[in-house]
Amino acid sequence: MDKNTVPALSRPAADKEPGRMRLFFKKLGQQRALAVMSVPFLIWLFVFKYLPLWGWSIAFQDYKPARKFMEQTWIGFEHFKFLFGDDRFLRVLRNTLAMSSINLFFGFVTAITLALLLNEIRNIAFKRVVQTVSYLPHFISWVVAASIIQTTLSPDGTINQLLVGLGFLDRGNEILFLGIPEYFWTIFGASSVWKDIGWNTIVYLAAMTTIDPTQYEAAEIDGANRFKKMIYVTLPGIKSVVIVLLIMNIGYLLESGFEPQYLLGNGMNVDYSENIDIFVLKYGIAQSNFSLSIAAGMFKTVVSFILLFMANNAAKRMGEARLY
Amino acid sequence: MGKSKRMWLLALTAVVSLSVVTACSGPNNTKKNTGTTEPTNAAATAETEPKQDKVTFKIFNGVAGSKDGNTNETTIGKLLEDQTGVNFKLEFVVGDLNTKIGTMIAANDYPDVLIPDAAIEEVLNAGAFIPLDELIEKYGPNIQRVYGKSLNQMRSKDGKIYFLPIAAQVNDFIPEPEAGAGFWVQRRVLEEAGYPKIKTLDQYIELIKNYRDKHKDENLTGMVSLTHDWRFFATSNPPMHLMGYPNDGNVTVDTNTWEAKTYAGAESTKKWLKALNDLNAAGLFDKASFVDNYDQYIAKLTSHKVLGFFDYRWQVDNALNVLKDAARKDPSLDGFKYFPLPVTFEEGTPDAYLDPPGGLVTNRGIGITVSAKDPVRIIQFFDNMLTEENQTLMSWGIKGETYEVNEQGRYFRTQEQIDKIDEPFRESFGFKYFSWNWPMYNATSTLADGNAKNVASQPEVFQMTLTDKDKAILEKYGVQTYSQLFAEPVPRPYFPAWGFAKEQNSPEQLWEASKDEMTKKYFPKLVLTTPDKFDAVWEEYMKEFGKLDTAGYEKWTTEQVKAKVELANQ
Repeated sequence: MDKNTVPALSRPAADKEPGRMRLFFKKLGQQRALAVMSVPFLIWLFVFKYLPLWGWSIAFQDYKPARKFMEQTWIGFEHFKFLFGDDRFLRVLRNTLAMSSINLFFGFVTAITLALLLNEIRNIAFKRVVQTVSYLPHFISWVVAASIIQTTLSPDGTINQLLVGLGFLDRGNEILFLGIPEYFWTIFGASSVWKDIGWNTIVYLAAMTTIDPTQYEAAEIDGANRFKKMIYVTLPGIKSVVIVLLIMNIGYLLESGFEPQYLLGNGMNVDYSENIDIFVLKYGIAQSNFSLSIAAGMFKTVVSFILLFMANNAAKRMGEARLY
Repeated sequence: MGKSKRMWLLALTAVVSLSVVTACSGPNNTKKNTGTTEPTNAAATAETEPKQDKVTFKIFNGVAGSKDGNTNETTIGKLLEDQTGVNFKLEFVVGDLNTKIGTMIAANDYPDVLIPDAAIEEVLNAGAFIPLDELIEKYGPNIQRVYGKSLNQMRSKDGKIYFLPIAAQVNDFIPEPEAGAGFWVQRRVLEEAGYPKIKTLDQYIELIKNYRDKHKDENLTGMVSLTHDWRFFATSNPPMHLMGYPNDGNVTVDTNTWEAKTYAGAESTKKWLKALNDLNAAGLFDKASFVDNYDQYIAKLTSHKVLGFFDYRWQVDNALNVLKDAARKDPSLDGFKYFPLPVTFEEGTPDAYLDPPGGLVTNRGIGITVSAKDPVRIIQFFDNMLTEENQTLMSWGIKGETYEVNEQGRYFRTQEQIDKIDEPFRESFGFKYFSWNWPMYNATSTLADGNAKNVASQPEVFQMTLTDKDKAILEKYGVQTYSQLFAEPVPRPYFPAWGFAKEQNSPEQLWEASKDEMTKKYFPKLVLTTPDKFDAVWEEYMKEFGKLDTAGYEKWTTEQVKAKVELANQ
């Protein structure tokens, strides 16, 4: 694949001729059908993505529903002060970052590994079975998945029975997996991998099909074995896809998910399971403190934005594929 | 160019043809509408000529309970419509209540009548309810009769009444025949122990211990506890009951001084958790209690393996009903049914598991919104609902059809009628729609002729629902109903303290949220730690608990209690 995937459109913008504006309108005239077609989408984008930003003003108010905008009391940065002053918030921030990093890292590594392995399988029937089995859990809702996980990990669940059966544990001393706070991140990471590994491989497998078979043939002539082909042909072949996905996911680093933590969390592991979203639910929405929720949401957006820019910039410096 | 011209043409044709379609369908639609509404209107007015026009109001119920539908499609609803010409279209909440109410508030568009349940404070803050004072004055003789003595308690801060609380005590107080809460134990445990009188927590634990020791190989669980999410109170409330107080939520209230005191960090809670800790050390407590969800808990209760637990009946009804049905089909399974016991810390303490006659629950209710078309008709309907005849109709039904009256004037149901009134019948007859959340006499009220308002509370009816085994066990204890095992409730005019309306985002609410989080974190630790470390963990918990403004919360609650008591004594 060509490294230079920057769309051709951006090229005229780079040269600073005096006739730039004229050129732009000429182009616009030529492509007016395209421009007209994009208008509804732009309206949609504006109405649903930009207008709601108006609501951010709530974060600076002591917001009371059903009052007009002018009737709200403005309190400045009070809610932000409360957020950052609360050590609970720092704890949930830590948990959020830790869990999404775990998710990001293991999600990538496992999915790419599985995709590489699947790509090597020549037996189509077996490949299909593996793929189907691995992406089935993706279609189970977290509510059901959490129940399965809870049951498996409970004192009379499969894992404890196995440990007792193999003699690692005595009966009566079963481990309460979800009751040990330090285990939570591991359990969360493992469950996420189990649930999404198959689904995540799809995009890599698709990327692998675009690799030119002649490259493999050339490598083979040069004496590369299967493993070397994987490392030197397949991996570089999907590199651009990996990087774009990575950049996009880094933007979501503060979105560690809500459902698994909420459903698997309990009083005992709260120190490790509570993330920003749950904190917002508990202290914002459940208390009808909408301003606090918005403040936390704003914080999340700003941080995500910064992360996204940083990742994209890094990719740009390294001369890799990027978002823009 | 030619291509793009064609594009423009295409777009233009699309727009024109669209407008043609809408233009054509416009008048058509209205014609059709008027066409269908006219005859029905005419029919309606012809049918009820002497009365007012028939109207349909929309009502939104914030508690998921039943299918959406019109009240006049039920037998009771039809009768009420014949009396008043008013029909209600009921919509029940699906999904998240706060989201739904929030949308209504944001749009300032409400159904005619709103039952906002837990979101009532937001609705009041948004000014969505109209004041009812004048309407009640003019059109509400029955409302005045039923709510009369509590009207003052119902006033909001500005002195106006904005909603009718869900139910008011009328006439005499009859406790429900089954206790609302208690320490439950499997009947086979009692049978084997020879039906002892269990009064204290120690005796209760002893009873369970003895049974388990005799049946070591049956893989039994001594006690489980419900801790899932907001239902955590099933594990944190027992200290209050063990001290002999009724369910006031986070506080106990002294009836002499009307002081409210929290108990989450008190000696009583320590004692209760220590008892669980000992149970756990003896392998009698189900550790998974702290990670199980509600469904898993219910499944455990029906598994026949659990000997005892504490909980409120409404919370475990599903499990108890499953066991009851099984025992009805096969009496040999009767031993797995649970029997409620009035357990306290000390032998001499009278228990308070039966809810006492109290004030009104004033943080739940039904109100007329600013969007209502005709508040007068609605309040007239409510008033008409509260007549003696209609209250009888709503709980007992129609004489000769769903109940009978004997020579002494006592209401009862024949076996045939009891069998007939199953879930589908309750729906089609309207018992389901009119079972609660309307202005009504509450469950412990009596009708003017002395019969119980609630069918299940009528002793004659209750006796008919008992199986032979039930009667036998009640006889062993020398009582006719389960609630007779429990101490008679003492009236508390403020009751219940958990029903006090708290302002959104107030220190009281924050205290409760923080306290909940703390107890959810430390109670499992306290119960599951080894007995020698118990005191150290308790110290740690007390240090955390000390950070809360508990004194402020107690002060606020005491003020509320005193204000309510004062209003009740006026």
